[in-house]
Amino acid sequence: MIEVKGLTKFYKQIRAIEDVSFSVEKGDIVGFLGPNGAGKTTTMKIITGFMPPDSGVAKVAGFDVFESPLEVKKRIGYLPENPPVYNDMTVYDYLKFVAEIKGIESKKIDVEIERVSESCGITDVQKRLIAHLSKGFRQRVGIAQAILGNPEIVIFDEPTIGLDPNQVFEVRTLIKELAKEKTIILSTHILPEVEMTCKKVIVIHKGRIVAKENIEDLLRRRTKISEMTVRVKRFSIELMKQIRDKFNIKVSQPPELENGFNFELENQEDRIEDIAKFIVDGGYGLLEFRPITLSLEDVFRELTTEEKTV
Amino acid sequence: MRNIIAIFKKEFKIYFETPVAYVVFGIFSLISGYFFLQIFSYFQRQSLQFLQYQAAHMLEHMNLNDMVMRPLFLNINVFFLLMIPVITMRLIADEKRLKTYELLMTSPVTTWQIVLGKYLASLSVILVMVLIVFIYPMLLSFFGSEGGLSTGSIEWMPLLTSGIGLFLAGASFAALGIFASSLTESQIISAIVSFGLLLLFWVIGWASAGAEGILKEVLRYLSLLEHLDQFTKGLIEVKDIVYYFSVIYFGLFLTQQSISSQRWR
Ligand SMILES: Nc1ncnc2c1ncn2[C@@H]1O[C@H](COP(=O)(O)OP(=O)(O)OP(=O)(O)O)[C@@H](O)[C@H]1O
Ligand SMILES: [Mg+2]
Repeated sequence: MIEVKGLTKFYKQIRAIEDVSFSVEKGDIVGFLGPNGAGKTTTMKIITGFMPPDSGVAKVAGFDVFESPLEVKKRIGYLPENPPVYNDMTVYDYLKFVAEIKGIESKKIDVEIERVSESCGITDVQKRLIAHLSKGFRQRVGIAQAILGNPEIVIFDEPTIGLDPNQVFEVRTLIKELAKEKTIILSTHILPEVEMTCKKVIVIHKGRIVAKENIEDLLRRRTKISEMTVRVKRFSIELMKQIRDKFNIKVSQPPELENGFNFELENQEDRIEDIAKFIVDGGYGLLEFRPITLSLEDVFRELTTEEKTV
Repeated sequence: MRNIIAIFKKEFKIYFETPVAYVVFGIFSLISGYFFLQIFSYFQRQSLQFLQYQAAHMLEHMNLNDMVMRPLFLNINVFFLLMIPVITMRLIADEKRLKTYELLMTSPVTTWQIVLGKYLASLSVILVMVLIVFIYPMLLSFFGSEGGLSTGSIEWMPLLTSGIGLFLAGASFAALGIFASSLTESQIISAIVSFGLLLLFWVIGWASAGAEGILKEVLRYLSLLEHLDQFTKGLIEVKDIVYYFSVIYFGLFLTQQSISSQRWR
């Protein structure tokens, strides 16, 4: 649905993104994750046809963004970083204007405005001037504007920014709802947002893509060093030492773990069985034996602090 | 076409539902009314003098069209140089400042449609200003016919051509104004740049005074303020029409180019 190859963009001397490539399948919901200044907005501006890259190509639904911009723009709903609203207009007039420039048939406009207003919870503020709305409501109007006309692809640049926790929850629910029938890219630097709403994640850092895959795969694969935690009925420091010496691995006992310990394996997953067997055979009364999974947060920090490319 | 209309309607609403248009109309009425009163009272004083001295041959030259309305239109033409940048300054600059520019640029509309829709909306404001000017001859013909002055009658044809001329002049100023607006995201800078451009095109005309031959003609032709003259005499000449339309096309073309090229930076 969206295919991006080798995008590079400089703002004067500043490199915003370099050699960014990825593709998004129809029906995907992709989180575009990166710290401030990573190049998320820049990439989105290119995909939506707002500005061209210095090099590379972006294709949406088979159309090159800069050869057939109108075909691409027809298919994308876009919520920019700042909700693109006119303060001097009422919510209704604004949505009507957007509907008109999106080429929605005049007869269908009112129905369509009603539909998006309902799903964004702005039905009650239709007649208010946008200047008088709170930030959260302006954001909702921005979202309503993006999904007006039922575009196949929706691109949200930090959709939950400036919302209160309830609204954040509502917007995420709305995005999940949309995800059932649309292709969605949403950018954010809030990790739980990606975990909650997206199936895939693209991590961008300093203008380069450092990871792109399913969230579970990412978590799993980044767990190169797998850490396991063990709890037993009859714990003794002896047991820890024995395991350390016998298997030649690192062990540690975090303070919160009274009757157990952690150990680390570096690409030695076949040894897990041996260790378990050792504990069981030794009659220590095994209670728990599980891998410690990295949270996306750990992965994110790992990806974006070492300058490693995947 | 639908897109142009949609953009036009939005701009039109913003002009007429916010104070912008009314402030412009208010100030315009005030100043143009002042021009009118000044010119008209001068006309009256002169007429009376000629009556007193029985200078009948002079009185024949004293008609409202030539002595009041023509100077009024020519003065307003100059005043337009100052007013029109105020009308056009927000057209594109403000979209950039508000970030709604991104909405326009990512919607399925072309740059030309955006430029034309906005430009036409500014023309609607200018049209109202030209109509305001017509209040003055209406006042004259109303009170003139009551006062019984032999000079009180008005010829409407030259006024109509003057109106058309003034509107075209305003339209060409607006085309340069929208171009200035596309260069920046600050309305103030936009207004200053358009004053600058318009003044430049005005002073080109002054330079013609010192020039000779062909150059003199060319400079005169380029001047923004030289072309209303014929219209106020009731003459619509091809060269003036061509001039105004060229300036309009030039301004809009530059606007379109500037919007498209900025995206490449
Ligand atoms: N108009 C601009 N002119 C100059 N530099 C820019 C411009 N826009 C962005 N940049 C620079 O390009 C880089 C990428 O910016 P971008 O806005 O794409 O980041 P982002 O991932 O969206 O960040 P954030 O999370 O803060 O929104 C940054 O270093 C930024 O300073
Ligand atoms: Mg951003």
